[in-house]
Amino acid sequence: MGSSSSDMSHIPDAQELMQETGFSAAHLARLHERFEFLDKDDRGELSPEDFSTVSELAMNPIGDRIIAAFFSPGQQAVDFPSFVRILAHFRPTDANRSRNGRNGAQQEPANSRTNRLKFVFQLYDQDRDGKISREDLLEVLRAMLEMQVEEEQLQSIAERAIQEADLDQDDAISFDEFRKSLEKVNIEHKMSIRFLE
Amino acid sequence: MPSRTGSHSPAGFGRSAPERGLLLLTVLVLLEGSVLPLGAASSPDISHHANSDKHQVADVGHNATKKPFPVLAVEYDRVQIPFEISLWVLLASLMKLGFHLIPRLSSIVPESCLLIVVGLLVGGLIKLAGEEVPPVLDSRLFFLCLLPPIILDAGYFLPIRPFMENLGTILMFAVVGTLWNAFFIGGVLYGVAQIQPANPSDLHQLDLLPCLLFGSIISAVDPVAVLAVFEEIHINELLHILVFGESLLNDAVTVVLYHLFEEYAGVGTVTVLDGLLGVISFLVVALGGVLVGAIYGILAAFTSRFTSHTRVIEPLFVFVYSYMAYLSAEIFHLSGIMALIACGAVMRPYVEANISHKSHTTIKYFLKMWSSVSETLIFIFLGVATVDGPHAWNWTFVTVTVILCLVARVIGVVGLTYVINKFRIVKLTTKDQFIIAYGGLRGAIAFSLGFLLNQDHFPMRKMFLTAIITVIFFTVFVQGMTIKPLVELLAVKKKQEAKRSINEEIHTQFLDHLLTGIEDICGHYGHHHWKDKLNRFNKKYVKKCLIAGERSKEPQLIAFYHKMEMKQAIELVESGGGVKLPSAVPSTVSMQNIQPKKPPPVKAAERALPQLPKGREEEIRKILRSNLQRTRQRLRSYNRHTLVADPYEDGFGDLLLKKQKMIELEKKIKEMNNYLTVPAAPPDSPTMCRARLASDPQAYSVKPTSDRVPTIQVDLASPQSPDSVNLLDEFRRAEQPRGEAGPDQGLMMKPASAQSGPNKSREDDESRDQQQKLMRCLSDPGPSADEDEDEPFLP
Repeated sequence: MGSSSSDMSHIPDAQELMQETGFSAAHLARLHERFEFLDKDDRGELSPEDFSTVSELAMNPIGDRIIAAFFSPGQQAVDFPSFVRILAHFRPTDANRSRNGRNGAQQEPANSRTNRLKFVFQLYDQDRDGKISREDLLEVLRAMLEMQVEEEQLQSIAERAIQEADLDQDDAISFDEFRKSLEKVNIEHKMSIRFLE
Repeated sequence: MPSRTGSHSPAGFGRSAPERGLLLLTVLVLLEGSVLPLGAASSPDISHHANSDKHQVADVGHNATKKPFPVLAVEYDRVQIPFEISLWVLLASLMKLGFHLIPRLSSIVPESCLLIVVGLLVGGLIKLAGEEVPPVLDSRLFFLCLLPPIILDAGYFLPIRPFMENLGTILMFAVVGTLWNAFFIGGVLYGVAQIQPANPSDLHQLDLLPCLLFGSIISAVDPVAVLAVFEEIHINELLHILVFGESLLNDAVTVVLYHLFEEYAGVGTVTVLDGLLGVISFLVVALGGVLVGAIYGILAAFTSRFTSHTRVIEPLFVFVYSYMAYLSAEIFHLSGIMALIACGAVMRPYVEANISHKSHTTIKYFLKMWSSVSETLIFIFLGVATVDGPHAWNWTFVTVTVILCLVARVIGVVGLTYVINKFRIVKLTTKDQFIIAYGGLRGAIAFSLGFLLNQDHFPMRKMFLTAIITVIFFTVFVQGMTIKPLVELLAVKKKQEAKRSINEEIHTQFLDHLLTGIEDICGHYGHHHWKDKLNRFNKKYVKKCLIAGERSKEPQLIAFYHKMEMKQAIELVESGGGVKLPSAVPSTVSMQNIQPKKPPPVKAAERALPQLPKGREEEIRKILRSNLQRTRQRLRSYNRHTLVADPYEDGFGDLLLKKQKMIELEKKIKEMNNYLTVPAAPPDSPTMCRARLASDPQAYSVKPTSDRVPTIQVDLASPQSPDSVNLLDEFRRAEQPRGEAGPDQGLMMKPASAQSGPNKSREDDESRDQQQKLMRCLSDPGPSADEDEDEPFLP
């Protein structure tokens, strides 16, 4: 842990990153280590193949979605700042951070509830039309249930889910409806990885 | 005010309820007080003598003078013990009833306080009558009969997810907190006892070890008291599970400390080696208890796999295996409470997948019943034992103990929270800490442990008992009564009364996968990683062994979904749903042949059903489902004002959901499509079997069959019900232009009245009969709806 501070020089724009994402120097260094570990051919960028080397991701039903979330649409490589920005969504919320702390562009931090939910929403909404349509939901269900159920059952579950959440009757779940259906779930707690504290 | 006393009391009773309730109470107490001494009065000698006398008389009667045949004889002693036990249980239950008839009382004073007062009264009466108070809180009786039901109830319905998430915190409080309490209280008491060398007092006899023993007895938070008080204040899940979990897990610590100090109190010294052995002993006791419980739990789960042919005794397995786990742990001086919790928690997901719906209901009701009676009895006995128990009041000792308990608890909680918060994601706030500290109630376990002490080894036993009782009274009365207003005052978050929706379920699982993936990317072996591994292990190996048939392959989500749908369907049918079947269905089908109050036809139905061809089966199911939905509508209108809230009730939105579904179904059937909104599970799927078998045959009434092909008829409620109008209005209102505000009208419906118009308001007479049935069925709210049942194990 002590030597990690010396690695800050390797990380471009370390200070801005720390400011933007709220990670401490130690965490940033750790993430950089991990980044370099994944970056097998040392290009300074990660490609989808690099992610696939993580074996457990292959077993994860939504592994491919998670990997895809790191890449902006159209791009095939993700650099360190983008990597960190995505992971910032999973940083535990600081209870003590004062709201009025910083002046200037008071952007909502990446690990606010809304931003976390937006991230998850994008994982559902693969066609990026701003809504979770029935097809999107069915895709997710198929992935999670791993072909163990009949198509009919999936249809009915998706049907019921949409009916429950869909308030404006457009047969799809918008971001607001998504957020409402999760109001009882403690997202800050669920989507926090202690490692990233 | 009177209406709150529940659906039991008819309207006229309500007015004089408080007076009548009080009268009833007094009468009961007097009754109990008078009968029990009578029982105690018949001493064994006299009865024995009377017995032998009778025998002789009988013999003599044959040979010598003929005495008149005793038409009526009194022989109490034969039934004395069961009679007295039943009397106590009856007293406890009647008390419980009585308290709820007096509305104001139960909202101010927690039940536990009232019960202790009743116990005091009964004990006082017995003493007044000059009889010896029976040693009711005998330790064997307490630990072997009264405590297990409560713990089993708690363990079986333990919400696993929050428990596991907070396990670290709970363990810290339970182990470190209890140790701190015990040593602090014991040590300071010893110090206090040693001061005042000038005036020698009784206290000087007190050695360090007995003090520490006393400290360890008094420091344990009591699960019974915590349950009794916390159940009424409905605080949020986190705090509840923290305090409650702590009260359960500190049993291991208490057991070890108790035995350690008891062993060595006679000798007088405890060496470092003994301390070390104590630590090892603690690990053995705790882990051993959990292991024993887990083994029995797995056995129970395995047994339940084969019970499909003997459904009636399924609940018995659950109870007996759990009790055996408790007793086995007690044999080896392991922690019986932890064994019981582990047994219940381990066996539950597998047993519930295997047993029938009715068995599940039986288990739930029996556990709640037993634990409720047990709890009531414990508090009453506490009162009686107070009156009876040998007392040696020592002002210094008692007051210092009470103060120390509070102080130690507060310091312990604050100190531990400071450390714990460094490791928690969701930190504990000051409010939380206050509630945790304030919720550290002591109860009957402390008293029983004190009672177990040997008078010879511990000459200060009487003083200990008095102090223990005072602390118990203080915590139960003062803390128990004031915690509710304090919770309100501090605006502590309350429990969210929410049913898990399918959306939450899907999203929660999705998030689990997401978090596991992110953890893998970060290379971090965290919480989610291990949970995922455990889930995989569970799915791959364990479920196959312990769950019967196809259910072992059923994914979590599907099981949840089926459960939800099944609950609704069964509830609809059991509450008198008007199942209308067309004549197209062949007569071998169960529904038509089932007459009310005739069990045998159900058997015939069981055998008849598998013979149906699959297509027919689907048709029946389709009709059943559609008709259930129709009944659901009717149900709606009765429920809101005339009946007690149905525990299965979903929000109003659900009604509109069903309405929507029905409309779509109509459309689909019109197009002769064969899709159901809920697909037909394969005919011998245990899920559907359970639904069929579990449905109450009495719910079906013989209906005149319509001569048409199955159609759905939108049947709105009979005009008699005041709410039927609302329903109509709402449907009409739904057709109006969108954009209406209000949460209820969020779900706008497609205009349906065009189709429903001509079919409205049939079956008025039927619905009147239905109304009575419904009222009877739904007036039983049962034990508080356990939302935790919906939560999957290891989601």
